[in-house]
Amino acid sequence: METLKNIFIKLGSMDRRIIFLLVGLSVLFPLLKPDWFTLPIRPKQHSQIVFDEINKLEAGSKVLLSFEYGPSTKPEIHPMTIALLRHMFVKDIKVYATALWADGNFMSTDAFDEVAAEYNKKIGIDYVNLGFKPGGEAVIKGIASDIRTLYPADLNGTSLDEIPMMQNVNNVEDFDFVFSLSSGTPGSKEWVQYATDPKGIPMSTGCTSIQVTDIVPYVENGQIRGILAGMPGAAEYEELVKMELKSMGLVIKPGEATSMMSAQSMAHVVIVILIIFGNITYYLTRNNKRKGSK
Amino acid sequence: MNKKLAIAVILYFTVVGLYYLGDGSVFVDHTTFKFGVVALVSFTLYYYIDRARSGEEIYLRPIAGLKAIEEAVGRATEMGKSVLFVPGISDMDQVETVSGLILLGHVAETTAKYEAGLNVPVSKSIVMEAGRETCRESYLRAGRPDLYYDDMVHYLTDDQFAYAAGVNGIMVREKPAACFYLGKFYAESLILAETGNSIGAIQIAGTGSPSQIPFFVTACDYTLIGEEFFTASAYLSKKPELLGSIKGQDIVKGLVMAAMVITFIFHGLFQFGWVDFDIVTLFGN
Amino acid sequence: MFLKRHMPLFIVISIGLLTLFGHFINNTTIQNFVDNDATQWFDIIASFAIFLGALNMLKLQMLKIIRKQNNWQYSTLAVLGFVVAIFAGFFYRGANYIVVSNVNEINLLPISELLTDELHLENQNTVMSNISDAEDGYEIPKIFMTQSGAEAFMEKLDKFDVNMEIKSKKWGVHLQAKGSLFSWIFFNIFTPLSSTMFALLAFFVASASYRAFRIRNFEATLLLVSGIILMLGRVPIGELIPWWVVAILIVFGVGAISAPWIKDKKIFFGLVVGGIVLFLGVGFAMGWNQSPPQILLIPVIQDWIFDYPTTAGSRALMIGIALGIVATSFRIIVGIERSFLGE
Repeated sequence: METLKNIFIKLGSMDRRIIFLLVGLSVLFPLLKPDWFTLPIRPKQHSQIVFDEINKLEAGSKVLLSFEYGPSTKPEIHPMTIALLRHMFVKDIKVYATALWADGNFMSTDAFDEVAAEYNKKIGIDYVNLGFKPGGEAVIKGIASDIRTLYPADLNGTSLDEIPMMQNVNNVEDFDFVFSLSSGTPGSKEWVQYATDPKGIPMSTGCTSIQVTDIVPYVENGQIRGILAGMPGAAEYEELVKMELKSMGLVIKPGEATSMMSAQSMAHVVIVILIIFGNITYYLTRNNKRKGSK
Repeated sequence: MNKKLAIAVILYFTVVGLYYLGDGSVFVDHTTFKFGVVALVSFTLYYYIDRARSGEEIYLRPIAGLKAIEEAVGRATEMGKSVLFVPGISDMDQVETVSGLILLGHVAETTAKYEAGLNVPVSKSIVMEAGRETCRESYLRAGRPDLYYDDMVHYLTDDQFAYAAGVNGIMVREKPAACFYLGKFYAESLILAETGNSIGAIQIAGTGSPSQIPFFVTACDYTLIGEEFFTASAYLSKKPELLGSIKGQDIVKGLVMAAMVITFIFHGLFQFGWVDFDIVTLFGN
Repeated sequence: MFLKRHMPLFIVISIGLLTLFGHFINNTTIQNFVDNDATQWFDIIASFAIFLGALNMLKLQMLKIIRKQNNWQYSTLAVLGFVVAIFAGFFYRGANYIVVSNVNEINLLPISELLTDELHLENQNTVMSNISDAEDGYEIPKIFMTQSGAEAFMEKLDKFDVNMEIKSKKWGVHLQAKGSLFSWIFFNIFTPLSSTMFALLAFFVASASYRAFRIRNFEATLLLVSGIILMLGRVPIGELIPWWVVAILIVFGVGAISAPWIKDKKIFFGLVVGGIVLFLGVGFAMGWNQSPPQILLIPVIQDWIFDYPTTAGSRALMIGIALGIVATSFRIIVGIERSFLGE
C-alpha cells in the first residue's frame, strides 16, 4: 500500500521536462502511425451552421474572405481555409480575398495556389486577391464604404477596373457573405462591429481555439452565423465538405486537420491523465501532512 | 437631489434635446439614442469626478495585485536581481497599453526607490518612446535620475512570437526575480507566464483580453482581472479625480445592469403581446 | 514645458474629442477624417517610428557583439537576420519569371509536356490551353530567385523556336511571389519558427494544467471538472467515452460534494457503490446502451458549457472591460489622466 502511495506521489510530482516529453510523444505517435489511431469526426452544431450557410449560396454568389492569420496559427486555420475554398470553388462561388494582417497575404496566396488549380479556377474570373492594406479597423470601414478608394489594384498590381469580377462591386453591401479567418485583432469582432452588423451582411468565422470564447457571444446573438472553432472545427468542416463532394461524385484530398485530430485527442487524454495523477498526489500528500501534524 | 446633480440632469436633457432637434440635419440620422448613451456615460463620469474633487471620500476595495507590486520589487532588490516589465504587444492605440504604461511609471518609481534594475522589452517603437518618457519622469520623481538610462526600455521586434521568444530568452538568461505582464496580450501570454514560473519569479499580470486572463490566473501569483487593471492608475495615485472616475464607472455599470433587466422585462412583455413597443429596436442602427 | 506637457495634452484632447463627436456630426469631411484619415495618420506615424525601434535594436545587439558581452553569439544571429530581411525586401527582388511567346502549333505539345514535367504541374491540357490563349506571351508559372536560374531554365526551351524574355515582378509584388527570395525566407524560415513558438503553448498548457488544476476548494474543483470535460469533448475521443463512464463520474461527484456530511466511511462507501450499481442498472434496463440520454454524453455537456456558462462569463468580462476602456479613454480625452505623458 505504501509502495503504491509512493508511486502515485512520484507520478503526481513529475519534472516538467517529463511532462513535455509525454505530451510530445502523445502527439508524435498518431502522426507517425495514423492507422493505429483512427477516430470518427462528427460535426458539431456550430460547424454545421457554417457549412449550411455556405451551402445555401448559389453559383455566382460573391463571398468576401478575409485572412487575419499568420504562420504561427497556420496549422489551425489554414486547413479550414483550404476546405472552405474547395467548398466554394465546387459551388462556383466567386471569392474575393483580402487581408487585414501583412502575413495574411502569404497565407492567401498559398491557399489559392494550392486549391485554384484543382478546380481550374482563374484569377480575375473566379477569384481575386485584393491583398493587405494597413489600418485594421480603418480598412474594414473602407471596405464597408468604398472598396475602390482603398484598393485601386489587386495584389498583383492589376487595376480593379480591369478585373471582370470586380464589376459592380463597390462596397461590402455588394457581397452575399463575409467569412473571416481570424486569429487575433483585427479580426472577426471588428468585422461584426464595423461592417457586417451595421450593413446587415451575413457573416461567419473560423478562428483559433483560444479566441472562441471571445467570439461566442456574437455567435449566440446571431451576429456571426456559426463558428469553426480551431482545429476541431476545421476537421469537422473538412468532414462535411468531404461528404458533400462525395454526394456529388467528387473525390477530395484528405484534409490536414482530420489527420491531426488523433494527435490532438491523444494529447488531451495525456493532459487529463496527468491532471488526475496530480490530484491524487495532492490528496495523498495533504493526508500525509494532516497525519503528520496530528 | 443636490444642486449639482440637478444642474447635471438639466444640462444632460438639454444637450440630448438639442441633438434630437438636429438629428438628420447637423447630426447623423437616427443616432439620438446612441448619443444619449454616450452623453449619459460622460455626464456620470464627470459628475463623480467633480464630487471627488469637492472632497468626497471614495472607497476602493483592496486589489491584491496592486498591493503586491512593492513586495515584488522589494523581493528583487533583496535577491540582487532585476525586475522585468512587459507592457504587452500592442501599440499606443490600445487603451490597455496606455494603462500598462501608467503602471510602468509606478513600477519604475518603486525600482528607483529600491535601486533595483528594470528591464522593459517592448514590441512597438512608439511604446518604446512613451515608456522611456514614463520611466525618466518616474526616476526623476523618485530623486534618482542617475539610475535611469534609455536602454532600460528597448525594442525587440514587432512580431508576436518573435517577441515572446525574445522575452523568454531574457527571462532564462537574466532570471529576473519579479515579472510584470501588464498590457494587451494574445496567445503568447501563457508562454511568458510559464517561463516566468519556471525561473521562480514572482509574477503579477493584468490585461483586458478576456481570453488570456485564465492563463495568467493559472500561472501568475497575482492577476488583475478586467477592470481592476484599468483602475490601477487611480488606485495607486489616489488622486481624487481618478478615484471619482472609478466610482462613475461603477455607477455606469449599475445603469447598464438596470438597462439589461428593464430590456429583458419589456422585451418579454412584447413577446407575450402585452405591450406594443419592442424596446430592442431602440438599440438598432 | 509647453512642448513636453501642454502641446501633447492639447493634441490628445482635441483629436480625442474630434474622433468621439465626429462620429455624430453630419459632415463628410469630418466623417472621412474620423473613419479613415485618423487611423491612417496613426499607421503612418507608427510606420516611421519603426526606424526608431529597429535602430535601437541594432545598436544594442551591435554593442553586445563589439564588447563580447555574455551570449553575444545570439546577437550575431539577430543582426544577420535583420540584414538579410532588409536585403531581400528592399534591395534584391529575387522574383524573376520567363515569358514565352511566338509558340507555333508544332511546338505547343512538346513545350507543354516539358513544362508539366519540369514544374510538376497537374494538367498538361490546361498548360496547352493557357499557352495558346495567352495573347501577350505565356508567363511560365515559376519564379526564379536568380537571373542565372532563369537562364538555365531557358536553355531547356532553346531547342524550340520560341521567343523568351526574363522579367522581374514589380517591387512590392515580389514580396509574396511564391519562389522569390523573400517568400522563400518567409515560408522556410519564419513560418517554421513562428509555428514552433505557437506549438510551445501545447507543452505549457500541459504543465500549467498539471500544476494548477487541483481540488482545493469548490471553485477549483469546478474549474477542474469543466476543464476536463471541455478538453475531452472538443476532440473526437470524447465521442468514444461511453455513457456509463459519465454516470460513474457523476456519482463520484455527488459523493465528493456530500462527503463532509457523511461521517461514517463505511456508509459513505456503500452509498457510492450502491449509487453506481443503481445508476448503471437503470441505464442498462432502459436501453441506454443504444440511445443514451444527451446529458450523459461528454460532447453534449461540452457544448452546453460553451453555449451557456462560458458565453455568460465572456459577456460579463467583455462588458466590464469595455466600461473600463470607456472610463480610461474618457479620462485621457478630457486630460485628467496624464500619466502616459510622464506626469
